[in-house]
Amino acid sequence: MRSRLGSILLVAVAAGPLAAQSSQFGVRGLGLPMRPLSVRSIGTGGGFGLFDSESTFNPASIGLVSFTRASFQTLQSWRRSVSPAGVATAQDNRYPGIFVAGPVGGTPLAISLSSSGYTDRNFSIASRDTLVLRGVPVETTDTLRSLGGVSDVRAGIAWRGSTNLQVGLGIHLLTGSNRISSTRRFSDTSYAGAAEQFTVSYLGMGVSAGVVARLGRAVSLAGLVRADDKLHVERDSSRVGTTKLPVTLAGGVRVQFGDQLLVAGGATYRTWSSADEDIVNQGGIGSVSTTEVNVGLEYLRDPRRPNNLPLRLGFYRARLPFPVIRGQNISETGISIGTSKRFVADRAGFDIALGEVWRKGGAGFSERATLLTFGISVRP
Amino acid sequence: MNRVSLLAMIAAAGILAACQEELTTPVDCPELCPGNSLIVLDTTIEAVFDRDSTFTGYLRATDIPALLVSNALPAGDARSWATFPRRSDSVTVDGLAHALTLDSAAITFHVLALDKTVTGTQLVVHRIAPLVDTNTTFAEIDAQLTPGSEIGSIAVSDTGNARLVLTGDALQNIAVTEADSFRLGIGLRLNAPSPTGIRLASLNFDSRPPTMTLYGKIVIADTSKVRQTLTAVADSANYVITAPAPPGQEHLFLGGKQGSRAILRFIPPAALKDSAIILRATLELTPAGPQLGLAGDPASLEVRGVLADVGAKSPYLSGVNASAQLLAGVSAVQSVDIRNIVATWFVAGAPPSTLMIGITPEGGSFARPEFFSTRSPSGRPRIRITYALPSQPGHP
Repeated sequence: MRSRLGSILLVAVAAGPLAAQSSQFGVRGLGLPMRPLSVRSIGTGGGFGLFDSESTFNPASIGLVSFTRASFQTLQSWRRSVSPAGVATAQDNRYPGIFVAGPVGGTPLAISLSSSGYTDRNFSIASRDTLVLRGVPVETTDTLRSLGGVSDVRAGIAWRGSTNLQVGLGIHLLTGSNRISSTRRFSDTSYAGAAEQFTVSYLGMGVSAGVVARLGRAVSLAGLVRADDKLHVERDSSRVGTTKLPVTLAGGVRVQFGDQLLVAGGATYRTWSSADEDIVNQGGIGSVSTTEVNVGLEYLRDPRRPNNLPLRLGFYRARLPFPVIRGQNISETGISIGTSKRFVADRAGFDIALGEVWRKGGAGFSERATLLTFGISVRP
Repeated sequence: MNRVSLLAMIAAAGILAACQEELTTPVDCPELCPGNSLIVLDTTIEAVFDRDSTFTGYLRATDIPALLVSNALPAGDARSWATFPRRSDSVTVDGLAHALTLDSAAITFHVLALDKTVTGTQLVVHRIAPLVDTNTTFAEIDAQLTPGSEIGSIAVSDTGNARLVLTGDALQNIAVTEADSFRLGIGLRLNAPSPTGIRLASLNFDSRPPTMTLYGKIVIADTSKVRQTLTAVADSANYVITAPAPPGQEHLFLGGKQGSRAILRFIPPAALKDSAIILRATLELTPAGPQLGLAGDPASLEVRGVLADVGAKSPYLSGVNASAQLLAGVSAVQSVDIRNIVATWFVAGAPPSTLMIGITPEGGSFARPEFFSTRSPSGRPRIRITYALPSQPGHP
């Protein structure tokens, strides 16, 4: 119990604004939506997200946790962005998630505390323009940089009715900030460069409820409903407005074929269009509701030791909520492969997933990214 | 286990190799620009009417950094003079005084500037009465620069040392008498085919003042010590000038032998004081006519901010100044970038928005710039400010 409290405290301290992959499609709206998945789920394309006990998606999924465990993940991305202005390659490293969960001794309950990315708004963009200053054309270079995003800190509790039914409830604190800096440089050095900096901070709440039910020996179903309240937005402590956040509906199925093969898939619908009016009012382009479909498999080389280098494969396709040009949808398609290994009687181990993502935004905007996610799990 | 180690190493290497962020992406606005960049604007503010003035007298007569000599130059007709102290008639060698028998002498001046387009310029050295001081007038000096008092002349074609060497009977021209307290006075004028001038190092300029060197012999057994020299540095030197009269209130005047400076006061717009970022600020001064001065010898227009505005004696802001070259003959608007000064007007505890302007070398230049003041019907002093206003980009 003491070590569990220590782990929970660690998560609470570390639950600052975390962020994940950066993208040119994370410039508008609230940024690039994050997927609250463990490395295992990422390796299966998110197909196991509703069932996986280390993912922070479905609070019911922690119901079968029998030991206190903590996990931490880091994400490395390499991407190539294409826009009408040119091509850019970039790489960055993020720490998108930390998770602690464990059973409450003597009860059919399990609790968890986690922090994951909700949206990521890390970007740095540069543009050129020509201004006529004092009657003379002067070329300018503008750079706009944003660091940060919105983090989703979740406290979850799950009730284990039996090995066939788990129900969970999560309370979400959405918090974070964007440190935004804008600089303008002039080709004529007679003009000094100028810069401005400010911080946009966010605060909101949400609740989620989920269920995992096992039907027979081979089939499991899962469902999730999540409702997020308005996100309060402040710029340097001055109220900017609120952004209505979406309701999330998700459902999935997992099928076990024999002892070695698990296949899972699901679909998620988020009513991001509810934020459209608020985002437009704050000077944005808007938002659209999104659907995401995930499917993945896990092949266990040794069913008695499921984490001994299993093979994970996955695929997903999603629509992103914040278009670059109004009316132009952004699609995201990803494939992934992953595995894991546990040591010391399963007390420590790692998970790794390698993914390739394609994003298309129309009007000449596209992106391809390679994502390497590495997670460490420990069982105190 | 080897495979595990390999996977772990690959993951760690990948993360370590790529942890450096390189995020900047070129974009087309407005699609990917969440809001405008800083808004750049331009404004011009004129100096406050009738609050500008010229003040004179910043230099003592002995503070001049250069000696001016000219030949009917429109910027001023100038003559210079120098006096040498009583000189010894012997040298001390091996602890014993030995009488020095002169065989030659040299008077050396250091030329700081001249108009190299004028050829045939000669610096003519005259002997004058050594009883000359800073109260001596141009007419009194000029009256002594007669053909009969001429010691010799030096052809001047470049900067650096200009040397007049005297030998034989010419040494009599620098002989000193008891009537003059054994002191020597020399006057300088210029001979040139067209009006021009030169500037010579004064006693205040580094270590190259007018110098007289005497070469001679002593009687001594050691033949290697027979040839000896005596060197004397001028103990006073100055110049007199007949320059155009200072202008009236419609003009601001800078420079002159006594040092004239002007004060300008501005009221920055409130909109700028609130949140503007100064990108460029240019002081624009309109000459009242072609700038007087010596061609090829530009002066420097110096602009300073002040710590407190107490008029002529306003203390300068330390380390905050700006300058620009002033060329003779130019009548176009003179511009000086003063962003570093103007930027101080927009910070907490800002100094007054006042400028002091002058020239360098003050008191040692032919430059006599005159600019229209705020009382002029046109061409008033003004500052052109280009500034940026925050735009708070980062819209969703």
